[in-house]
Amino acid sequence: MELRIAGTVNDSIVDGPGIRFTIFTQGCPHNCEGCHNPQTHDFSGGTLVDTDELLEKIKGNPLLDGVTFSGGEPFCQAHVLAELGKEIKSLGMDIITYTGYTFEKLYENREQNGWGELLSVTDYLIDGPFILDKKDWEIKFRGSSNQRYIDCQESLKQGTAVECEP
Amino acid sequence: MIIHIIKRDGRKVPFNIEKIANAIFKAAQAKGGTDFNAAMDVAVEVCKLYEEQNPGKTPTVEEIQDLVEKTLIEKGHAKTAKAYILYRYERTRSREMKTNLMCVLNELTFSAAKDSDIKRENANIDGDTAMGTMLKYGSVSAKEYYEMYVLEPAHAKAHREGDIHIHDLDFYTLTTTCSQIDLKKLFTNGFSTGHGYLREPNDIASYSALACIAIQSNQNDQHGGQSIPTFDYAMAEGVKKTYAARYIQNVARALSLIVGVDNEFEIADKIKKELREKYDLRPVLANDNGYSEKEAELLAEYTDSETIKKIQAFAVKNAVKETDRATYQAMEALIHNLNTMNSRAGAQTPFSSINYGTDTSPEGRMVIKNVLLAQEAGLGNGETPIFPIHIFKIKEGINYNPTDPNYDLFKLACRVSAKRLFPNFSFIDAPYNLKYYKEGDPDTEIAYMGCRTRVIGNVHDPSREIVTGRGNLSFTSINLPRLAIQSDHNVGLFFEKLEEKMDLVIDQLMHRFNIQSQKRVRNYPFLMGQGIWIDSEKLSPDDTVGEVLKHGTLSVGFIGLAEALKALIGAHHGESEEARELGLEIISTMRHRLDEESQRTGLNFSLLATPAEGLSGRFVRMDKKRYGIIEGVTDRDYYTNSFHVPVYYPISAFEKIKIEAPYHELTNAGHISYIELDGDPLENLNAFEKIVRCMKESGIGYGAINHPVDRDPCCGYTGIIGETCPCCGRKEHSNNVAFDRIRRITGYLVGTLDRFNDGKRSEEHDRVKHNV
Repeated sequence: MELRIAGTVNDSIVDGPGIRFTIFTQGCPHNCEGCHNPQTHDFSGGTLVDTDELLEKIKGNPLLDGVTFSGGEPFCQAHVLAELGKEIKSLGMDIITYTGYTFEKLYENREQNGWGELLSVTDYLIDGPFILDKKDWEIKFRGSSNQRYIDCQESLKQGTAVECEP
Repeated sequence: MIIHIIKRDGRKVPFNIEKIANAIFKAAQAKGGTDFNAAMDVAVEVCKLYEEQNPGKTPTVEEIQDLVEKTLIEKGHAKTAKAYILYRYERTRSREMKTNLMCVLNELTFSAAKDSDIKRENANIDGDTAMGTMLKYGSVSAKEYYEMYVLEPAHAKAHREGDIHIHDLDFYTLTTTCSQIDLKKLFTNGFSTGHGYLREPNDIASYSALACIAIQSNQNDQHGGQSIPTFDYAMAEGVKKTYAARYIQNVARALSLIVGVDNEFEIADKIKKELREKYDLRPVLANDNGYSEKEAELLAEYTDSETIKKIQAFAVKNAVKETDRATYQAMEALIHNLNTMNSRAGAQTPFSSINYGTDTSPEGRMVIKNVLLAQEAGLGNGETPIFPIHIFKIKEGINYNPTDPNYDLFKLACRVSAKRLFPNFSFIDAPYNLKYYKEGDPDTEIAYMGCRTRVIGNVHDPSREIVTGRGNLSFTSINLPRLAIQSDHNVGLFFEKLEEKMDLVIDQLMHRFNIQSQKRVRNYPFLMGQGIWIDSEKLSPDDTVGEVLKHGTLSVGFIGLAEALKALIGAHHGESEEARELGLEIISTMRHRLDEESQRTGLNFSLLATPAEGLSGRFVRMDKKRYGIIEGVTDRDYYTNSFHVPVYYPISAFEKIKIEAPYHELTNAGHISYIELDGDPLENLNAFEKIVRCMKESGIGYGAINHPVDRDPCCGYTGIIGETCPCCGRKEHSNNVAFDRIRRITGYLVGTLDRFNDGKRSEEHDRVKHNV
């Protein structure tokens, strides 16, 4: 399967707890003012990579605690990421997904675009657009105070967003 | 007849009378003279006079010139004499101006440190200050002198041309590199710093103060780092004494308050003395030695048993609290002192290191906890302390696993390092370190000095394979990329050249060692005079130190394995398996040669992964000039440190550790591996600890994690700062105040990038962080 990405990072310590492999997907519809990665917005930018290659890199790094899908907007390539996510989970790693959508919006439309599938492999969801006025450096792994750190599996069970501490 | 003449640089060359006549004729011409024969007559006369006055002696240029002046005046050529004197003066001046030394002194005097690489050669010296400049005057003059008059010509040439680098050349004939100071031994019965005698300390505050003084005093006798290899064990003695004293004081207070006696201190003191003399008992932190019980018997004279319990509980509670506080303050003072006191010719803070982490006694644990907390708190305004280098020793069964007694302190060490870059971590369990380890003998726990130096094995005296009282004598590094470039992809030729260069460096180290060996105890009033160096206490002031120096190490270092591999086979050891194998073969060959030399001579020859401060730029500058820009070899402003995978090469932390670990075993004179992190690891301590654990499991001996430590001096925020301070929103350079950016350079922290030399500045810029 092919995934359009802006890049990857080994040994990230800023995209969730522990040491993580971060995949920056390419293409984002949100256009948040003050975005940290504006070069990832263009849907035709970045490079196409085979997900098997990514998986090889992940397998080659025993220090990893998990993988983070960031972007870009990961939910724009939900099908592919969901498939990749299953493989990653079978390695015993957890998955954190960043999104500019809210959990509510994704949950409501879970039957479309593969959103439900990506949610079902996501352990923790960091949701909501970046809002410049709410920019906050003090909160872990997030950019603005409207963004939530959500226990995705528990939220799917309850049908409502359940926040937790990273 | 005069056959030879001695030139200004000391060389003896054939004498040529025409040269004398020519100089005289030139002076005469300047005054309108046209007669060469007259000039020749004067020259002949000069020779005759010299031979009459100094039969059989070889003249110097200066002597001949003096005679020419005298003869010209006596023969009535006053005008020519005047022109000759002027000509001679001009020549002298221009010659001196042309010499390297004068140019360098000129640069030191009139250039600012930011424009002058020589002034920033060592990031620990502020080259803009009076004392910093004076230190540099001395240093450059000494180097010039040694190159011209002391070094063997072959060594001088190899050094000058950048085949090798003789480190600390300015101290060539003067002293040795570094020591691991045994504070316990030094403090027992007190010591002297030259102007007065210091009694054995009796309180943790004086223990820490004297530790600083020991470091400072010894730094004045050596040019390299000063390390305390068993800091926790040494300071624990001070904590013990403080606790005992505070306990007695609190017993007295309680007696006064609860029992209402007036002579409380007298009583407490009497009890203390009696217990010490009769039973050799003192109050201890663990409160488990039977002191309480015996003390209760004596207190019964003054009050009932219920009250005694109360008194003792009060005394324990307060003594623990006060001792903990006193220990923190002592550690805080130590860190402050080591960042302010000057040594090493007055222009530098000592290069200090402290190793700790394995003392599991309550006193030792109190020391470790508090020195970490003091480091975490930082200096007066919360700045990150530059000194000392903290090294946390990791050992299974002591502090590595959650069930180990000092595991909590390892966790704390990770937290502090995530904020302050120190401590670094050393690994006693690495097989080549573990083989020296004897449980219960801290002197056999591996320790590191400063940026990376390691001394423990001892072929001179295998019964003394310990860290304390020993150090490196001198080290010289080989420019590996040059050998590779010269070999032109011929690996066999490279090994031949390497062997030649190893022979040369070993020869040079012996030359230096022989000079060092002639020194006497009185040349090192502290190092040798106070018994810091192993066995020096057995010598008298006029004894030579050669025999005891044999416990030290003579080390061969190397720079730029990565660039050498690139030049030889087109890939470095981060890039290909073939390069990894060749890299290990090269470094194993070097180690093997040194082991052989050790066996042959009984001296401790060892292999060093050179810290490349000034050198990283110097070698590549020279090679660029000679060989032009070669991709992946000379196309940067620095050569890669020792065996490191190049900092610009993207690689996972795990792979970097795996690739570099085998070199730690080979480089028995010292090594370090770094992992670069770009985020704030304080927010993710599990990740930090995981990397340290990975180093340990991979067989790394000594490692550290680099991450940006920025600070806004205006609001005091410490963390990662980009263009704008996230705390107060201030932009860099607004109010004309820049952010402090602490980075590690050759193992030492540096407060601002200004003091990085050019090579290091561009190396820092290229570092790939293992992160976004």
